[in-house]
Amino acid sequence: MSQATTADVKLWGGGRSPFNVSYGKMMMWFFLLSDAFTFGAFLISYGTTRFFSAVWPDANHVFHAFPFAGEANLPLLFVSLMTFILIMSSVTMVLAVHAGHYGDRNGVIKWLLWTIVGGICFLSCQAWEWTHLHSQGAWWGSFTDASAPLSGIEHFFNMKEPAVAAALPAHGMQATHDFYNYFFTITGFHGGHVASGVVFLIMVLINTVNGTYDQRGHYEMVEKIGLYWHFVDLVWVFVFTCFYLL
Amino acid sequence: MSAHHNTNSIQHLYEGDQSKLYSGVMQHHTDIASPESKKQVGRIWRVFWILLIVTVVEVLLGMYGYQWGMPRGLTNAFFLILTLFKASFIVSVFMHLGDEIRSFLIMVLIPLTLFIWFVIAFLADGGFWLHMNSTAVTR
Repeated sequence: MSQATTADVKLWGGGRSPFNVSYGKMMMWFFLLSDAFTFGAFLISYGTTRFFSAVWPDANHVFHAFPFAGEANLPLLFVSLMTFILIMSSVTMVLAVHAGHYGDRNGVIKWLLWTIVGGICFLSCQAWEWTHLHSQGAWWGSFTDASAPLSGIEHFFNMKEPAVAAALPAHGMQATHDFYNYFFTITGFHGGHVASGVVFLIMVLINTVNGTYDQRGHYEMVEKIGLYWHFVDLVWVFVFTCFYLL
Repeated sequence: MSAHHNTNSIQHLYEGDQSKLYSGVMQHHTDIASPESKKQVGRIWRVFWILLIVTVVEVLLGMYGYQWGMPRGLTNAFFLILTLFKASFIVSVFMHLGDEIRSFLIMVLIPLTLFIWFVIAFLADGGFWLHMNSTAVTR
C-alpha cells in the first residue's frame, strides 16, 4: 500500500479532527461563510439595481463632507479615515490572537482594548456620516416625489457628464431613492456586525481579565472572536469598493 | 470563576482536545519575546502596510482617475483587482486560513466559487432590464 492511503486512513479514521481544527472554530468558519452569502446577496442586489438604472449617484459628489470642515469639498476623505480605523483595529485584533497563541495574558488585554477602541471609533464615524446624510434629506424611503424640483438631488450626481444630466429628470429621483435604501441597509447591517463585535470583544476581555482562558489552558476564544472581527473588516473592504469607489 | 472550567472531562466537549490540534503558527507557544514570535508580528505589520498602501492607491484613483482621463472601465477593473488582493491578505494572514491545513482551506473556499455565477448572472440580468426599458420607448 502507498503511504498516502495510510495517511488518509489515519486522517479520517476517527479520534482526531481531520481538518485539524476544533468544533467551535469550524462552526465559526461555517457561520462566516453563511454571513458572506448574506452580505454577498445584499451587494449583488445593489449591483443589479444599479445596472438597470439609467443614472446613479456619484460617490465623489455624495461623500465629500468631513466633521468640522463646514462646506469644504473633500471627496472620499472621511471614508478613507473610517477604512484606516477598521484596518488598524484588524491589526490590533490579530496581535491579540498572536498574544493568545503565546499565552501572554497582558498582551491579549492590551490589544483587545485597542481593538475595542477602534471599533467604537468606527461606529462613531458611521453615526456622524449617517447624521450628515440625513441632514441632506437622505434616509430609508426618502426621495419618492418624482415631481419635486431637481435641485433637491442634482448635487448627488456628476452633472458634468452630458448623458447623466440628460437622463436625470426622468430617472434621477428613483435612482437616488434606491441608492439611499441600499446604502443605509447595507452599511447599517455592517455597522450592526461591528456593534455586536464590540460587545463580544468586551465579553472576551472580561474573561481574559478574570483568567478564564489561563485556567482553560488556551486562548482559542480570542481566536474565534478574531475570525468574526476580521470578517467584518473583510466585508467593509467590499462595501467600500461597491459604494465609494465603483 | 466557577470551578467547571478546570474539569478536563467537560473541557473536551466544547473546545476539543487542543493538544491534538494545530501546528506551526497556530500552535500553543510560550515565549512571546522569542525570534519566532517577533517574525510573526513582523508579518502582521507587513500586511498592515500592504493594506494601507493599496487603500491609498484606491482612494487616489477614485478621486482623480476621472480627471486623469482614465476610462471608467479601467478604474473599475483596478478597484476589483485591488479589492480581491486586499481580501486575500486579510483571509490568509489575519484569519490564518493560510496557516490551516490544505483540506480545510479548500473546504472554506469551494462554496465561495458560487459567487462567480452569482455576480455574472445578476448583473447581466440588471443590464438586460435597462436595455429592455430603454428600447421600449421606440417600440
